[in-house]
Amino acid sequence: MTNFGAKILGNSTSAMTAQQALLANASNNIANVNTPGYTRRDISIQTQLDPAVVDGYLSIGSGVKLGDIQRLTNAFLESSTRTALSKQGKADAKSDYLSRIENLFAFTGPQNTIGSAMNEFFSSVNQLSLNPSSLDQRLNVLQRGQDLVSSITATYNDIARAQDELNSRLPQEIESINKYTEEIAHLNGVISTRETVGLTAADERDHRDTILAQLAGKVSFTTLESPNGMINCTLDNGFPLVNQSTARALKVTTTPSFAPPAGLPNSLSGGVLSYVVYDYGTANAPMDLDLTKVLKNGQGSLGGILQVRGYADPSNTSPFQADGELVGLAARVEMVARQLLTGVNQVYRGSDEAPLVAGTQGSSGDLNGNTPGVFGLFDFNYSGAKDADGDGLATGGDLSASGIGVFSRVLKLGFSSPDEFAAALDTNQLSGLTSFSSGDGRNAQALADLRSSKFTFSVDSNSFQGTFDELYNSIVSTVGTLSSAAKVEADVAKASYQAAVSKRDEFSAVSLDEEFANVIKYQKAFQASARMIKTAGELLDTIVSLI
Amino acid sequence: MIRISQNQSVRDLVSNTMENKRRVSEYSNQLTSGVRVSKPSESVDAGAISRYQQQIAKIDSYSGVIAQAKSYLDFQDQIVSQANDIMVRAKEIAQQGANETLEQTSRAQLAQEIFQIRDQMASLANSSYQGKYVYGGANDDTPPVNQLSYTEPASGDANKRYSFDTDPAGSVAKSIRLTDEISVSLSTKADTLFGTSLEALERLSRALAGYATTPASGTPDGGGAAYTFPTDFHTQTDDIRACIDQIDTARNNDLIPERVSIGGRLRRIETGQALLDLSKNSAKEVLSRLQDADETEAASNLQQAQTALQASYTVTAKVLRLTILDYI
Repeated sequence: MTNFGAKILGNSTSAMTAQQALLANASNNIANVNTPGYTRRDISIQTQLDPAVVDGYLSIGSGVKLGDIQRLTNAFLESSTRTALSKQGKADAKSDYLSRIENLFAFTGPQNTIGSAMNEFFSSVNQLSLNPSSLDQRLNVLQRGQDLVSSITATYNDIARAQDELNSRLPQEIESINKYTEEIAHLNGVISTRETVGLTAADERDHRDTILAQLAGKVSFTTLESPNGMINCTLDNGFPLVNQSTARALKVTTTPSFAPPAGLPNSLSGGVLSYVVYDYGTANAPMDLDLTKVLKNGQGSLGGILQVRGYADPSNTSPFQADGELVGLAARVEMVARQLLTGVNQVYRGSDEAPLVAGTQGSSGDLNGNTPGVFGLFDFNYSGAKDADGDGLATGGDLSASGIGVFSRVLKLGFSSPDEFAAALDTNQLSGLTSFSSGDGRNAQALADLRSSKFTFSVDSNSFQGTFDELYNSIVSTVGTLSSAAKVEADVAKASYQAAVSKRDEFSAVSLDEEFANVIKYQKAFQASARMIKTAGELLDTIVSLI
Repeated sequence: MIRISQNQSVRDLVSNTMENKRRVSEYSNQLTSGVRVSKPSESVDAGAISRYQQQIAKIDSYSGVIAQAKSYLDFQDQIVSQANDIMVRAKEIAQQGANETLEQTSRAQLAQEIFQIRDQMASLANSSYQGKYVYGGANDDTPPVNQLSYTEPASGDANKRYSFDTDPAGSVAKSIRLTDEISVSLSTKADTLFGTSLEALERLSRALAGYATTPASGTPDGGGAAYTFPTDFHTQTDDIRACIDQIDTARNNDLIPERVSIGGRLRRIETGQALLDLSKNSAKEVLSRLQDADETEAASNLQQAQTALQASYTVTAKVLRLTILDYI
């Protein structure tokens, strides 16, 4: 006779083991309810197959058996979370810097913006034209002129400082990217080793997903899981950042092996902008692969930083600096400075419109009867000889010098005392003598009229046609559009990240309700099996009592 | 089946609460500062806001100058009005003096008043406004009228001769801009306005005092001998009569037209100011629409946001307190 009593005991024991395992798994899920990146686990249970039919004609079954531990994860949900993270990283980085730059052009507050300084300066000159000999009006013009000059240099320097800061953030960003890729490569190795011998690597996989998400915030990449469980990370141009269990460390350099034909791109403050490269050569013979462009076009905070900072294509042979949002704004500030030095200075020197050659006499004059020099109203700091005719004689001191920031960084006022402002025009021109009257405000009037004059502003290959006001408005609307676009982008990216992470959590995160419902279920099953053991014992007792 | 995990519900609750809190702070900022757009990115009309701000600044700059110009012209109007009045008095005296029933000695007495009138006219031409000579043109630090002397008599009131400064800067007119295109002249050259009047008064005073003036017409050159009486009694009468005509010419050609012109310029300036005010008001209105917070809207938005924030607090507290552990 088959011993059904033993069968009952065996089945119940297997069930009690299984329920305990399930309870233990639930406790692990509950313990990790707040662990970032934790994916809930599930243990599959199945019926224990009967090794052989022992009772000859009846197969009852041999209880329950524990299956595998599963991570409840979905590769698509993970990767869409990473995509959203990358987008958010880029938009946040851009928005951070652009909203700081935007404050330089604020409408309200005590800020000395170029726009308000321009308003005040032209207004003070207009007031002076009525009382040209008034000392307080002249002091006002001097003060407003200094405000204008300092607002231009300050705005330019703030933009340049933001670029420098972005440039100096690159090494930190690359360092953390390298740390992440190395860790991913290491975990790839561990996961593959454990899984090939049949062990689970659920915790390692969780850990890897967390790091992949952190990496995605910095840079955008695509992933592909190999059959051995390793994940390869590839940049948008196909460059593998992580290949199986090897990571490729990136490097920030200002001396790349591929010397750009036009030289290294200058930063707005006069330094150089660095490249992000992968060095596939040796220590003695570096061979740099330029990844700056693909990273700039990609997502992640690195993409945002590079895009705002600017990037110069090494194949670009023009001497122009990097492109990028900050460079575009700085170029227009430079245009203002250059126009003050050329067009405005020229009008200031007198209405005879004599060619601006050093040494020729203009026909405007100050209270002391002196005529202003070539840089009488607006001047710039330069140690060498200064020249305004654009014949290229004095590089750096010549207004034909190319480069953004050459003049806006060093702009200053051409006169330092109120009596040196040339408000008058020559009243004796016909007689061939030169004399100026303290009550003559015609030159001040001519200068005030410049506010409505159209100029061709230019620096390097960029140019703008219009008045000072129009140029300033274009800067304001550009910076506004850039900043608001970045803010909107950041909001959208945040919303889509939340949607993605919500989807992921819906599937993979721990629900306490579910776990506790399961705990009760497992507990009841455990009690039931225990009860069965008691029943089997009673059965045996009955048999024994017969003897 | 929709699973709601712990993380999910906490994150959603917190992020919704944060968003509501952000809105409350945004609208309360709008209400307390009165400004909706303080940075370019806060409005698509950033360029327009900047443009209107410039327009207002420009108008303010013109308006400031216009206010000064107005009081400057008002002052000139008073001067010319005074000049006209004393010329009327001068003519009365001249008419009295031209009467041949009057003795030569009585004419000399009349001369005394004309001397006063002549000097007053010269000082009117040398009037200064805020320390600057009104009729000096660009040369407003030196008086436009200087004192010279006649050869005969060697001293006394009849010896005084007035001449105008010849510096070319004197003919540079002061002007102000009403708009970018229109400008209004603010000054008249001293000799254009007072030249004939002063000359007439000079001749008249000398004639009454008993001295001829050379040349017979045009600017006196400082010459002219004493009349010999009684031979020259009729010549003296003729000279006085000629002065009456010249006084009329000075009033009709110089002083009265100047008053009309000042009135015209004042009107233009006032019209200009009115136009500027008008365009400033409309620019301000547009700017305010573009930039300022609509208080009613902001207040009702704030109310709404506060309600939403309260709701999220209540809901968050309730939902987070719910746990299955209380029921098992």
